[in-house]
Amino acid sequence: MKVALYTGELPPPVFIDRLIQGLAKEGVELILFGAMKKKVSYAFPTITVVGYRGKMHKSWQLFKYTVLLLLFKAKAKKKLDKILDQQERSGTLQKLKCYPVLYHQPDVFHLQWAKSIGDWMWVQEFGMKLVLSARGTHLTISPKVYPKYAESYALHFSKVDAFHTVSKAIAKEVVSYGVSPELIHVGYSGLNLKDFAFKVKAASAKKIHILSIGRAHWVKGYSYAIEAMCLLKKEQVSFSYTIIGLDANEELLFLRAQSGLEGCIQFEPYLSSDEVLEAIQQADVLLLPSVEEGIANVVLEAMALGTVVVTTACGGMTEVVTDGVNGFVVPVRDPKAIAAALVKVSELALEDYQRMSKAARSTIEKNFTEQQMVAAMQKLYQSLETQA
Amino acid sequence: MRIGLVLPAIPAYSETFFRSKISGLVVNGHEVVLFVNGETMETHYCGARVVSSFSTQGNSILLLLRAKVTLFVLLVSHSKTVFRFVKSERKEHTPWLTLISRLLLNAALLSERLDWLHFGFATMALGREHVAEAIGAKMAVSFRGFDYYVYPIKNSGCYSKLWSKTVRYHVLSESMKLGLISYGIPDSSIFIIPPAIDTAFFSPHPAFQPNKSLQILTIGRLHWIKGLDYTLEALALLHLKGVAFHYTIIGTGQEEERLRFTAHQLGIDPFVTFAGKQSSEYIKKQLEQTDVYVQYSIQEGFGNAVLEAQAMGVYCIVSDAEGLEENVMHGNTGSVVPKRNPKALADGIKAFLGIAAIEKVKSSEQAIARVKRDFSVEKQELKFKAFYENS
Repeated sequence: MKVALYTGELPPPVFIDRLIQGLAKEGVELILFGAMKKKVSYAFPTITVVGYRGKMHKSWQLFKYTVLLLLFKAKAKKKLDKILDQQERSGTLQKLKCYPVLYHQPDVFHLQWAKSIGDWMWVQEFGMKLVLSARGTHLTISPKVYPKYAESYALHFSKVDAFHTVSKAIAKEVVSYGVSPELIHVGYSGLNLKDFAFKVKAASAKKIHILSIGRAHWVKGYSYAIEAMCLLKKEQVSFSYTIIGLDANEELLFLRAQSGLEGCIQFEPYLSSDEVLEAIQQADVLLLPSVEEGIANVVLEAMALGTVVVTTACGGMTEVVTDGVNGFVVPVRDPKAIAAALVKVSELALEDYQRMSKAARSTIEKNFTEQQMVAAMQKLYQSLETQA
Repeated sequence: MRIGLVLPAIPAYSETFFRSKISGLVVNGHEVVLFVNGETMETHYCGARVVSSFSTQGNSILLLLRAKVTLFVLLVSHSKTVFRFVKSERKEHTPWLTLISRLLLNAALLSERLDWLHFGFATMALGREHVAEAIGAKMAVSFRGFDYYVYPIKNSGCYSKLWSKTVRYHVLSESMKLGLISYGIPDSSIFIIPPAIDTAFFSPHPAFQPNKSLQILTIGRLHWIKGLDYTLEALALLHLKGVAFHYTIIGTGQEEERLRFTAHQLGIDPFVTFAGKQSSEYIKKQLEQTDVYVQYSIQEGFGNAVLEAQAMGVYCIVSDAEGLEENVMHGNTGSVVPKRNPKALADGIKAFLGIAAIEKVKSSEQAIARVKRDFSVEKQELKFKAFYENS
């Protein structure tokens, strides 16, 4: 079975790349299409990369696939051209995206971004099975804010052959567009546990070190975290708060300055993955103040490494964290609750902290490993074979 | 007097503040030159001549050619000015490449003979601190809010060169003046001239009847600084308490997705309208139907829309962010509540619901009278006249 894992851009994001490598290790034949930001190569012979980069290379690729289709699949090409024409998508860029897919004609076309579902329905006309990964904001935010996405999902979702969702919460969203639950496979994102060695905390600190990780986007809810830090300061809790992934974000810099918290809150720009792991291990608590998420990888990573987490109950986070058992859960947009949970962490006796972090590690070992992630995806692909 | 005013662009129609300032100066017999960034088709605006600065847009070969011609013309026609400018810059060890780009960007300013060179926003003066001296003009700088409260946080020390110059400062509020004094600026160099609004246009609606479901309005860019997510959270609290309302936000901006999602997640999206950018006529009409105007900014220089709402007799609830505290007289023309605190705003709106009708009328009358008296275009004109003329 040949599977096209389509992200549109190469190299794919880290979490999808992990899936690609995991599937390749299991011997799944993969083909990756997309615009190349930089050169992409894999050590696995089962992975084919069909990318395009720069004006010259794009023109060459388009020319090459046009000729190949004319020579070997002229009828199919004519049919696709007609479809693209009807959708008013007959420009060269669209052809560059679609022609290689038609030529290689994988058994499964696995699209990673729901927003572009309308652009890929055509693959079914050529016997390819269409699978959609329903991830994060494409399901939880875009259709709530922009009706055009909700309309597109309502129109197309019911025809998709199978769905992969990153959480049960998102599976529910997919069902709301009229999809039968049997077609939805929940496949949690998973970690390679060898990269995340568990280290139990040996001593509890007087000053609590709080850490958040993630890009500067409103969805991450950092303004609520800063409001929570104001409350901690008011209650004279000794703390330091670091956010990794931010570089000179005006809003957060302003909120920090207005709150007089320059001495307690640090913003760190991008760090290497090793540095991030070290920062997580050194922190007493990893805070996820997000207003929306699928399932946040940083939380999984912190739980694997032995750092207690405080997370909002957004998206699928409660499928990972059970309040008071393997971490703490607070409502979204609630600085008071965040502050209270952080105080709870700071007051944990060392043995309670250790018990909680061990429980967190075993949650990850049980449900969030790379092997499980890969196996779930293989199972999904196999289900399509039986469908056929 | 010849007054050069440096602005990022030609003011939009709704920017009464600049429009009235410029036409007021022209009426009083001054010659105003308006310097704006980039190319513009306009040659005149409200009686002022419009000059655009060197544009860095377009084909790179043509750009290079234009740059050479501009520099050549500047050197030939204003050699002494250029010499003075270069001397001041080199004294501070400005690298030659930076210096040349500054010469280019300031070519239009360096070619004028002015009595006053006035930067309409302090950020417009950055990299141009020596221009006034070079052309023999006095220098004036306006601080309006963002340039004072926000920009320096990300760009620490950005005004140190400005502070070292002899500058006449225009600020919008008492709190900004106190801030400048703390930087060592002498009291006598700082003039408070608050914004002005067209009180003839924003006049009270005689037949206003309170709505059954509370109509709440905010006008402003959809920007984090406006505190709109805090406002939505306050409204969610009111919704939980069973208060019926409809909230309209007029304005566009980069945070639209964030705010729409906030309203959705808080479960109040059926009661919130994002009306987008609208004309003054629409705004006036909307104000005529509004029970309470809310401006819950995290930071605000002064808040023109709040003045417009008060001029129309609409009750205003605002945050205590800087200029707003001086804009609304708490308990007299509206109410001021602590910023970044949704519960405080919700309580403020609930308190408004409890105010007796007669009290509301009284507060509305006080607001109308105060705006007419203190924030009229005529008053602003006089203040700017004094700003330039007093030596």
